[in-house]
Amino acid sequence: MTGKRVFIAGVGIISPLGSGLTATEQALWKNHSAVKPITLFSLRQNAPLPVGEVEAFMADDSLPRTHQLALQAAGQAMQNSDLPLDAVVLGTTTGGILSTEMFLAQGEQRPEFYRFHGLTSVCEEVAGKYGCAGPALTVSTACSSGAVAIKIALEMLRTGEADRVLVGGVDSLCRLTYFGFNSLQLVDAAGSRPLDKNRKGMTVAEGAAMLLLTVDETEQVIAEVRGAGLSCDAYHPAAPHPQGQGALKAMENAIQDAGLSKSDIGYISLHGTGTLDNDLAEARAVNTLFDNDPPPLSSIKGATGHSLAAAGAIEAVVSALVIARNLLPANTRLREVDPALFLEPLKTPRCENVSAVLSNSFGFGGNNASLVIAQANRYPVPPLPRAKRGKLTIVGSSCLTGAGNKHETMAALWLGQVVAGALSSAEISAHLPAREIRRLKRLPRIALSLAAAAYDDSGMVAKPEAVFMGTGWGALSETYDFLTRLNETDEQFPSPTDFVGSVHNGPASQVAIRYNCTGANITTSGGNYSFEQALMCAELLADSRDESIFVLGADEGHRQFSHLFDQSIQEDTPLVDGGGGFCLSKSAAGKGVHIRTSFYKNSKGAYVLEDLVEALGGAEQISAAYGVLMIGIPAAFRRQGDKQLSEFMKFSSFAGPVIDYRQLTGEFASASAVAAVMALEFLKKRAVPKALAGAHDATLNQKGVLLLGLGQFITAMELHAP
Amino acid sequence: MDELIRDLKVKLVEALNLVDVNPDDIDENAQFVGGELGIDSIDVLEMVVMIEKDYKVTINNKEIGEKVFSTLTNLAQYIRENSSMVPS
Repeated sequence: MTGKRVFIAGVGIISPLGSGLTATEQALWKNHSAVKPITLFSLRQNAPLPVGEVEAFMADDSLPRTHQLALQAAGQAMQNSDLPLDAVVLGTTTGGILSTEMFLAQGEQRPEFYRFHGLTSVCEEVAGKYGCAGPALTVSTACSSGAVAIKIALEMLRTGEADRVLVGGVDSLCRLTYFGFNSLQLVDAAGSRPLDKNRKGMTVAEGAAMLLLTVDETEQVIAEVRGAGLSCDAYHPAAPHPQGQGALKAMENAIQDAGLSKSDIGYISLHGTGTLDNDLAEARAVNTLFDNDPPPLSSIKGATGHSLAAAGAIEAVVSALVIARNLLPANTRLREVDPALFLEPLKTPRCENVSAVLSNSFGFGGNNASLVIAQANRYPVPPLPRAKRGKLTIVGSSCLTGAGNKHETMAALWLGQVVAGALSSAEISAHLPAREIRRLKRLPRIALSLAAAAYDDSGMVAKPEAVFMGTGWGALSETYDFLTRLNETDEQFPSPTDFVGSVHNGPASQVAIRYNCTGANITTSGGNYSFEQALMCAELLADSRDESIFVLGADEGHRQFSHLFDQSIQEDTPLVDGGGGFCLSKSAAGKGVHIRTSFYKNSKGAYVLEDLVEALGGAEQISAAYGVLMIGIPAAFRRQGDKQLSEFMKFSSFAGPVIDYRQLTGEFASASAVAAVMALEFLKKRAVPKALAGAHDATLNQKGVLLLGLGQFITAMELHAP
Repeated sequence: MDELIRDLKVKLVEALNLVDVNPDDIDENAQFVGGELGIDSIDVLEMVVMIEKDYKVTINNKEIGEKVFSTLTNLAQYIRENSSMVPS
């Protein structure tokens, strides 16, 4: 059986090289580097370091720079298209933080100033602009985010979940990354010189690129996304595996996923950041894969700098240029190749017809992604993806709330007690080895605790291979501490430890390191729907060969940040946090409760609740299939959510118990992960206790549990007994 | 044991959050990175920041860093040679 072709029907790119495909192409032909000292923000001391800064572009002061970059690229990609989008998938690492940094420095305490802080706000802005009715999915896997986003979009299209997806990556320059990478001594003060003998590091940059992907060949087609491969080094939070083990696996997976052989690859767009370790590890992986005889290759980061989450998408667009315009870019700023690399990067641009390009993006947490972009229709239709959407069976579970671990939380919930609260750091880390977690603050500890308990609960028989984690706000403690110390020391002594910990995928990469999960490692950040996004990615990407996978949802309550960022959280109220974790398996089908997402749409769409009822099989089916309805209405969307609920009740005529779970878990972005563990408990006991069901215990018989997320988006997850 | 080394041990435990380590138990001549304390490159960078802040000594070069951070004794010696704040 064969799969589907996925075409690139539009591209948008804005980088230090310019805005648009033509400007980018011209700059690449000229072998021009845009790296120069930063002017975007003033520094309190020290000479400005070289960066890749985007020149003046249309400014709209009501939105942070990241959002504007993304909109600019999206506008280009959507230029010739007026068909509706089924989903938007966007990779970003720091969202609206440049504005946040400024407001924090001004002492601004009004939450409305921070409403564009969250990563999800960038994707939602783009999705809103094009009236996308489906998911606005945000992926944050550090410097591979843009490429990982493309892999997710590719699987949405291949599995028929979507026919048209706008996908890309974006990041703006900000103090966090400018000072953070410098504190790690990873910045070359002379500007990055990838693969050069004298290279001393990377150049932090900004930019955005978007690709309109479609399965419809009638649209104008630029190239084909043939395949993508993911892997995780599971080695170190900020350094690559020295032999490039993860990089090699990602490239191999990508070529296999594309249904090609390595001899088909005519050019490699290297990750090539210019750091000593990255370039060496990547060179080793490339030489291993291509038996020391790789095709022409180069890194464009000497020209653009390293635009972090945007880089993978920018380089995917450049790969499309390679295909469409016969342009093989030079390894700009390279003088003398490092002989230790055993590579011969292109020193000048070359005009050559290439059928398939391999594009690498690697990030913190050993988070690797490789893409294969090829001439449209040049190769046979690719094979069916191995990671087909399949039933995910729960083999282990865990949760943390103010009431304690799963056992304590479920006991309290069974009595109808509120479990909202925040455990002490010591309680969260009770079963984690002190030495291993000494550098970790609150969120990674919660994540590790959840993973450990879920794995224990599974009986530790099926080794977890991949990690999918949803977090609405990421590691707030590390971000706050980094920015505070940066400010307090007059920008002199930022903490490298806090910088490494501040990345959204830090917690998931800690889980990967601890359990040696070398498969996909995805962190999603979709606000109140972050856990749903993680589960959706797990369904799309979990390899059926994986023994098991982790799917986690967690957030931390933070005294200074939570009420500023999360509109559902009030200042001066007790902190609430926690999360839920699962060990899931595709191969254990039929042997336990299974969980899946069954709906994800923007609530602004017309008839969206009717659509939901229809998607669930209609009113009759809903009453027959579900014994209890659990709803999550974030406090900030209470009125809207109540209205949505009453509409759903009207259309579905559902008569069973309804549990408004945030009243029990308290307000935090990934509360739905705890609700999913509650749902599992109901199914195991085949009942809903009277304290939650109403007058008396409700028996579930063979019925399942339906979890609805309401508010800005309408989501459905369901759990069923075997 | 000299005062600088004792100070460094206390600061090391604090900066790296070595919660289960008593500063007096650290062997200043033992291998520092990759040794018993489980110290890695990120810890070294955190130490670099601390040393710059507290002793005004900059260590921004991998070769020097590797030599200096081989043991605590070597680190103390480097600080003494390069800091105006510590009598050499």
